[in-house]
Amino acid sequence: MNAAQELPVTVLGQQSLWEVVWKLMHLRLVILVSGFRRAKLRNKIMMIILWLLLLGFLGFIFFLSFLALHFLNSPELTLYIGDVSPWLEVVPALIFSGAFLGLLLTSFGVLLQALYLAGDMEFLLAAPIPIRAVFTAKLLQAILPNFGLVCLFALPVLYGLGASNRYNFLYYPLVLILLTALALAATGISSLLVMVVVRIFPARRVAEVLGFLGAILSFLCSQTGQLANINHFSPNQASQALGLVKMVNTSWSPLAWAGRGLVNVGKGNWLEGGGLVLVTVILASLVFGAALVTSERLFYSGWASLQNKSRKKKAPRTAQTRAQTYIIPVAERRTPGTIRAIMMKDWLVLRRDLRNMSQLVTPLILGVVYAFMLLRNGGGRADGLGDAPAWMAGMLKNLSLYFSVGLALFVGWMLLGRLAGMGFSQEGKNYWLLKSAPVSIGRLVAAKYLVAYLPTALLSGVFLLATWMIQRAPISTLLYSLPVIGLCIAGNAGINLTFGITGANLAWEDPRQMQKSASGCLGALASFIYLPVSLLLFFGPPVAAMAFELPEIIGQMVGLVLGGVFSLACAVVPLWLVSGRVARLGEK
Amino acid sequence: MMTSPLPLIETQHLVKRYGDKLAVDDVSFSVYGGEIFGFLGPNGAGKTTTIKMIVGLLQPTSGIAKVGGYDVQKQPMQAKSINGYVPDESNLYPKLTGRELLRFVGDLYGLSRQQTERRAEELLRLFDLTQAGDDTIDSYSHGMQQKTALAAALVHDPKALVLDEPTVGLDPKSARLIKDILRQMSERGAAIFLSTHILEIAERMCDRIGIINQGRLIAVGSMEELRRGSSAAAGAEISLEDIFLSLTGGAEYAEIAEVLK
Repeated sequence: MNAAQELPVTVLGQQSLWEVVWKLMHLRLVILVSGFRRAKLRNKIMMIILWLLLLGFLGFIFFLSFLALHFLNSPELTLYIGDVSPWLEVVPALIFSGAFLGLLLTSFGVLLQALYLAGDMEFLLAAPIPIRAVFTAKLLQAILPNFGLVCLFALPVLYGLGASNRYNFLYYPLVLILLTALALAATGISSLLVMVVVRIFPARRVAEVLGFLGAILSFLCSQTGQLANINHFSPNQASQALGLVKMVNTSWSPLAWAGRGLVNVGKGNWLEGGGLVLVTVILASLVFGAALVTSERLFYSGWASLQNKSRKKKAPRTAQTRAQTYIIPVAERRTPGTIRAIMMKDWLVLRRDLRNMSQLVTPLILGVVYAFMLLRNGGGRADGLGDAPAWMAGMLKNLSLYFSVGLALFVGWMLLGRLAGMGFSQEGKNYWLLKSAPVSIGRLVAAKYLVAYLPTALLSGVFLLATWMIQRAPISTLLYSLPVIGLCIAGNAGINLTFGITGANLAWEDPRQMQKSASGCLGALASFIYLPVSLLLFFGPPVAAMAFELPEIIGQMVGLVLGGVFSLACAVVPLWLVSGRVARLGEK
Repeated sequence: MMTSPLPLIETQHLVKRYGDKLAVDDVSFSVYGGEIFGFLGPNGAGKTTTIKMIVGLLQPTSGIAKVGGYDVQKQPMQAKSINGYVPDESNLYPKLTGRELLRFVGDLYGLSRQQTERRAEELLRLFDLTQAGDDTIDSYSHGMQQKTALAAALVHDPKALVLDEPTVGLDPKSARLIKDILRQMSERGAAIFLSTHILEIAERMCDRIGIINQGRLIAVGSMEELRRGSSAAAGAEISLEDIFLSLTGGAEYAEIAEVLK
């Protein structure tokens, strides 16, 4: 056969772009439905309940928005606070801006997964279907889940606004059209951003960083309520906040055009409103189209798949830097070689894998937040009213530091949940290396125990020291509290590691599946019961001694013996009971 | 070739049962020092299960696996100390660098820091990984990961080496390097137990071959012995492929060829 000849090929029906897009989207639908059908009955019921709750939530937000906006528009209120309608008219622009930014950010992660990590791109691009269809389907898949979430919050508010202001009927379909157009534009831009970023950094690394940032941000957001001083929110700050809202509605922002256009259409200003809506939709469609074509070309030409190697290559480690890696405290040097090796390896892997880091940084943030709160409240000193007896004032003062011990243990408890609870699971498919090596079960468990215990004890100890300095409590209380922390964490580490062994899952692909949920919950529950019991044993006797006007030192000694025995028993006995399981881990 | 009279790898009536399924059924064989033993079998025949029991990753339902004369179940530390293992999927800690992994393995096997450093550098050089030695393993190609796994198995200079499909995904140069290393190790008296699907490797490299099918060891011997015992065809030209197919059943292959015609 010479080069000019072509193989006779029968093309089984020329498929149009949208036909293929539909097929690809339908495949996702089939996977979704099949996943539901094959789920356990319990999960099916849970899913149905979740959907019903979501629908209820949607209705609730609509009703709430309607009532709130109706109230804000009421003439009675206008008499007191003036006309708020100019502020209410900013709401659509505000929601569109928020939705656009939200979709831009959330689509990034979804598109990273869909284009680079899902692993089906090569399969799809090799098939006799238009490349554009593949990209269109991928972008649509990226939009749908986040768009659904945006609609869940935005639609009821915007419809509530329309209903309370008695906007024109055209307002309602236009809300949906504008949200869709802006979602398409945001996802298009996001796809280009993904390609640029992956050109510089490996896709998996980007996913790890995203996960890390996402976890930290969501945690920080959850704690902003603690940090914010809402009680001292001044009218000046309120007007500044409203000024920021007004800034969104600037005349040059296409997102503001959408909001203004919508409000004008609602009010019946057809020309101005219709024009703004039309311009926004056309602009969003153009952005989406351009992004689609560009991303398709960048991907197919290899630009977006080939990492830019021009970035600075890591310098090979010199003898000095190698030595730095192995600088370890004297205490660790005294541990046997295998235990030390496992400890060093675990800490190195934990430090380098950002997926772990997000779980580890959480207790640190929590510690900082609560330390800040203590500092802000003047160190939480319990000075009393002045007429309390001296022993009571002293006891309250010490109690506040004993409370800090509880807080330090709580911070440590969160870290232990990750380090000890998933100590074995984090080995995953690499566990064969440890299992086929001549490492005894005792040493393996000891290494995993120390990997969890040492950083937790250090963190809690530092936290306690910081709060002691803030509270300016007596040194004797600190000297008692430090061994208490060490012993309490010892027991807690034993309990968490025990449940980590019984619930170990070495076959995970996603780190979130590291520990079986039942075992993780039981571990958290057991350590949650352990903590107050051990604290009662440690601090009950010194508090009782103070109450009976006995020397505090006697109470502390009794507490140390009672709590110490209990903590050490919890550190050793549960682990001894499950040590047999370690030998059989990974054999299923 | 130097062959030791003592078996360094030995299984006695090894059985592994998963519920009703018998994965490995009464498998007994010995691999002597200085010998390369090829372990062949179709997919799902029980090769990896047998290997996992030899290296102490899986508890046998019954029977004994010994390495260097030590029972893997009763004296696991001694047995594992003289064993090296390369799994079929080289799952290595992705966030460690190649050099760190070798140091870690050296520590696990109780080597001194100096010994570990020296061996790690030697092996990295041997496997052409010196440049990549400070990169994390997740940036390695499949072949590089495979070579790193082999280097990790060799850090402590094992007397017995168990390899599960060691040449899969390797370029010809790396595959040749691995074959040379295995040959050298066997010449120095180590026992090599090698599972492979590449019959040409088994035929050319292995001193003796064991064929497992449906959990049972159906043939063990040198190529000559297998040829003599085979019912596939008469004559000296019979290949390992013919023997393998005749023993494990090749009807399905003919059927596939018919479909593809």
